[in-house]
Formats: sequence, C-alpha cells, structure tokens
Amino acid sequence: MSEHRLTSVGIDVGTTTTQVVVSELEVREPAGAGKLEIVSREIRYRGTIHETPLSGPETVDIDAVARIVEDELAAARVEPSGIETGAVIVTGETARKDNAEALVHRIASEGGEFVAAAAGPALEAVLAGQGSGAATRAKERGEIVANADVGGGTTNVALFDADGVRDTRCLDVGGRLVRFDSEGAITGVSEAIRGLADDLGVDLEPGTEPSTEDLDRLAGAMADCVIDAITGPPFSDRTASLAIGSLPTDPIEVDGVAFTGGVGRLVHGDPTDPFEYADLGPTLAAAIRERAAELPLLDLDETIRATVVGAGTRTTELSGRTVEVDESLLPLRNLPAMGVGDLPEEDLETRLEGVIGEATERYGPDEPVVLAIDDVGPLTYDRLTRVAAAIDTVWTADGGGRPLLVLTRQNCAKALGQALRRRSDGRPLAVIDEVGVADGEYLDIGRPLDGGETVPVVVKTLAF
Amino acid sequence: MSDKRAKDRLDGPRDPDLLERITDRNPSRLGVGRAGSRPRTDTLLEFRADHGIARDAVLTNVDEGFIEETGLVKIGTLIEDTEEYLARPDRGREISAETAEYLREHCEEGPEVQLVVADGLSSSAVEANVPDLLPILLDGLADRDLRVGTPVFVEYGRVDVMDAIGEELDADCCVILIGERPGLASAESLSAYLVYGPERGGPTAKKSVISNIHQGGLPPVEAGAQLVDLIAEMCERERSGIDLREDDREFVTD
Repeated sequence: MSEHRLTSVGIDVGTTTTQVVVSELEVREPAGAGKLEIVSREIRYRGTIHETPLSGPETVDIDAVARIVEDELAAARVEPSGIETGAVIVTGETARKDNAEALVHRIASEGGEFVAAAAGPALEAVLAGQGSGAATRAKERGEIVANADVGGGTTNVALFDADGVRDTRCLDVGGRLVRFDSEGAITGVSEAIRGLADDLGVDLEPGTEPSTEDLDRLAGAMADCVIDAITGPPFSDRTASLAIGSLPTDPIEVDGVAFTGGVGRLVHGDPTDPFEYADLGPTLAAAIRERAAELPLLDLDETIRATVVGAGTRTTELSGRTVEVDESLLPLRNLPAMGVGDLPEEDLETRLEGVIGEATERYGPDEPVVLAIDDVGPLTYDRLTRVAAAIDTVWTADGGGRPLLVLTRQNCAKALGQALRRRSDGRPLAVIDEVGVADGEYLDIGRPLDGGETVPVVVKTLAF
Repeated sequence: MSDKRAKDRLDGPRDPDLLERITDRNPSRLGVGRAGSRPRTDTLLEFRADHGIARDAVLTNVDEGFIEETGLVKIGTLIEDTEEYLARPDRGREISAETAEYLREHCEEGPEVQLVVADGLSSSAVEANVPDLLPILLDGLADRDLRVGTPVFVEYGRVDVMDAIGEELDADCCVILIGERPGLASAESLSAYLVYGPERGGPTAKKSVISNIHQGGLPPVEAGAQLVDLIAEMCERERSGIDLREDDREFVTD
C-alpha cells in the first residue's frame, strides 16, 4: 500500500531556552492494523539551544522568537511551506508571560500549513517523556517509568506504563527561578519560589550575594520536592504547596527514573561550575543528583531536547482509514472539543441540546465546535440513523451556523457521515473516527493523506 | 466467540496486568494454561465449541424467513447439497438456463448496480451482517442516484456466481456479499467482492474486495458506507480491481 513521509517541526519556547527540531514521520499501514499509523520518527535536524529572548520581565520578544525559528528552519533547509505537521509549545514560566498565547498562535501560523499551538504543564510532562524515550521503554518492558523534566521554570513529571500515561505531577521548581550576575549576586527571583525561600529563612534580596550554604539549603529543599514528586504519593506539604494543578492520590512503585530538561541533563552529568548558567540550575542539579542515588536511574536518548522532540514527533495522530469529510473545510485549527461521553440509549436530543447550549455559552453562537462522542452505541443501521437524525435536529434548531463536526472513537465515520449528509441539506461536514479527545481540549485537523481516507489530527491542550 | 479467556484461567499469574495486555491483543487462545502436557478440560471444551460453531456456519443454510424479510429474490446454482458444494467449486459458480430465465423474469434488467447476497462458506455471516449492511448501502446508492437492480440471494454460491448473474441481467456493476470460510475466532466474517462489467470467466484481477466485515472487524454499517464510495468510484471510472488502483502501484517496465 501507499506510504507517506510527513515533515514535522517541533518548537519549544521554554523559560530559559528556545529550541527547534525537524523530524520525518513515516506513515504506513502495519499488517493487520486496518488503519494508517506513524511507524517511525526520525529526527532530521536538531537546532541549537537558544536563550529565550525576553523584551521585559513579563513579556517574550515574539519577533526575536520568530527570527530564531526562521533561522533554524533555514539551517535545516526546510521551507515553511514544506512542513506538514508539528507543534509549537510554550513551557515553564514562559507559558505565564503576558503574551504567551499570542506567541504560540503567531509562531504556529508562521511555522507551516498545519502546526499546532500548545501549552500546559501536564502536556509538557507527557511530551518530555515521549521525547526522551521513557514512554517507549515503559511500553517495551511493561514497567512504570517516570520522566522528570526539570527545566528553568518548572519541573514536570510524567509516569508511563505499558498502556501510556499513568499520571503527571508538576511543580514550580526550576533552575531559572533564581538568577545571578557574573559576581554571584542575585539579579532576579521568581515569585513562585519566594514562599519556599521565606520558609527556609533564605534571604533572596536582589543585589545581595547569598552564602553557598543558603543556596544549598534552598536547592536541597527544591530537590527534596522533585524526588517527592517522583516517589509519591503521599506528598509532603511543601511539595503540595509547590504543585501546579492537582497531584495524584494512588501510590505507584516506579521501576525507572529519567531526568530531562536543562537541569535534568546536569543531573546525569558530572558536577559543573555552579554559576555557569548564571542561575541556580547546576546547584539544583547537584542536589537532585545526591538525592537520586537511591533511585533506579535511567540514561535515555534525549535529555535537554526531550520536550521539543516530543512536540515535534508525538503530537500528531492519524484518524481511521475511512472518514467522511468535505475537504473544503480543511485544515481546521483550534477547534474546541465538546465532550458528549457515551450517547444515552434514549433522549439523544436532550443530551445534544445540552452540549450545544454549553458550546454557545463557552464559545458563542455559531462558533465551530467538534462533537466528541465516546460511544455512539451499538453499530447498527437503526442506531446510526437515529444518531444522525438527532444531531441534525439539534443542529437545525441551533440555527445551522455551525458546520457538522463529529469525532468518534469507534470505526463508524463513513456510515455516520453518510447518514448525516443525506439529512443535512448540503451543510459542510466532517466526521472522523478512531481518535479520542476529552472535553475542553482543542483539535487541529489537517488535509487528508492517502487519497482522502485518513486525516492527521492533533489533540492539544491550551492551558495558560 | 467466548469472551472468557485466559485471564480467568491461569492461577495466580505474577503480573496479571501484563497477562491481560497479552491476551487482549488478539483473540487467539493465549495463556490458557495446561494440565500436564495436555490442554485443560475447559480449554478443550471451548476449542471444540468454537469448532462446532465454525462447522455449523458451513453446514447450515440461511433461514428462509430471513431471505423473505430482507426482500431478496432467491435462486440456486448447479449445486444440489452441501456435500457437493464443498466438493465442486466450479458448479457453485454457474446457474442453469432455467435459473437465468427466472432471474430475467423476476429482476430488473440492465441496472447500474446489481447486488447479490450468497451464503458462501458461512450462513451465520450473512444473517449477522446483512441486516445492518444492506440498508446503509441502499441509502447511499440512492443518494448517489445510482440505479440499483433487484437484490438476489444465491444458495450454494461461490464468488464468481456474481459474473453469471451480472452477465444475465446485463448489469454495469455487480457486488456480492458472501460468507467467508469460518475460523476458530469468528464464524461471522463477511466479504464483499465487486466487479465492473461482469462477465463469465473474467479475470480475478478485475475484482475489488472489502473483507473481514463483522462486529469485531470492520463493522457492517461502516462497510456498507465504504462500499457506497467504492461502487460510485467504479461506476464513474468504469473499472474495478487493480485497474482502479493502478496509480497506487509502480510498475517497472524497463
């Protein structure tokens, strides 16, 4: 059968560094799979590690980031028009900058035809673990592998098992939270770390030169929390106070631990000059290294580039082989997913009206949304015609401004799509199957591969 | 067939999650344990039960009531009984002169699309899948404004009987939905073969196929919808089989 190669770009704008990778995804139908899958991911170009350009304490210099991306793509000898998929992600503290959202959307739209914008600490954790090889190791060995991505602004831990992501734990712990000048005097402290410093009685007054003991105590407390985040639950109160989002409650025994990110890379290496990067990074790495001696440490393929590799190679999914799509609609970007869950046996209209009402409330009338259905019910003729009729009724009552966009986990896109089409009076529609998405996530849907029978889909989180 | 497999069978596995991942991967009899050098009693009984279901699928006929309810015109081939059906594939591909006459009397002649349902090697496959597949196929063909002839049911039919029927009724395109040879994992698998310009003795390369149609494989409703697109493409391009897919292949000629 036909074989495709997709050129994919990954761009990570982090607290400290900005990175670009270009990779090639090989798309094929493995024997017996019945659908196209991404069977290999080869990194074609690894960009240089750039310092993330800031134009103020709370703003990223978007033009400078755009220039970095442009230069890197030129160095990789890739035209933006030749990029078929990929993702831009803002990570760590950069995601909290005032113009983070504008940044990802601009870089994504300049990056190529179908490059997704993404943000969110849990997503970062997962992408880093997928990029480093932790997820693959967990799958191949049936083990629980933790990937701890320790960067400039945040630490994002993801636990993987053979089926994929088990859970994530994210903390306000990073090497750039305290910054120094060449003399070792403090030039900046992030809000996120002030509580911990006060708690420890460490004075972080800008301009002062803190003692080595104080810095070791601060880095030590941060490292304790990193280790705690990997080995818990239960978690200490201090870890809980530094957590971003919620922490899991079920204890899991970890078989292997990999450290990635700028600080994580130093954990694996030899001790370096503590002020080499003009921040707390090397001191924090040394503290983690000391405490991690008891852990089953893994040395994986990617460390500092784990997140960008994950963003470039793991964000694209492929739909089922047969979809029903009006190609004029594609590509579609930033479509909010409305989770419908399992469709009830009766009263479909009531459920769908509720979902559409919610969509109007959240995104406004006539704004396109994707109806994400977990289970349409038994795949019979009667059921599918019933579901199609209900969707059409509710859409018509809604005013008919929205295109009909439906996503199902079951293999039924063509049947449901045709049933919808014969009722929907020429309204544009796209029904895509064998992709799962949760309520509140966003979707980008690209143009079909393989003669209109499979579309690339990026499911993304945009949490600033 | 049976949903209850190995995971309930092995006593005290060291890693039950791993065992489940392995056994869920496919419907084979994995991790079923053993008694000395032989299978356990329940494993053996289940194997025999599955074999029995497979044999039944071959040896029983499609229910008359089903054929009537579905509104199919029933005909036969040159075959008299199951024994002969299994021994003489050639006679399962041909119809008698009387049957040809009967077809022309009871069916629309010269349709764009002629649909045929045949028991093939699994009557269960027909009864399990056709009720969901046929209506969505008929809906879709109607939406494409394709003129569909009178659907026919063939008892003791082989795939190529579609050529004889299509030729006698002068159809542009002929589709046969036929029960596949049952396996020990599923006896309900159906295939659809399609040909543009059916003629007796036409090459197999001119036939397109969609196979593995059953609830655990390609769901019958989805298969029906896929067939609509494929038939529409065949009628538009006036070809089928590898002629329809030639742009997918690279033939090196020098």
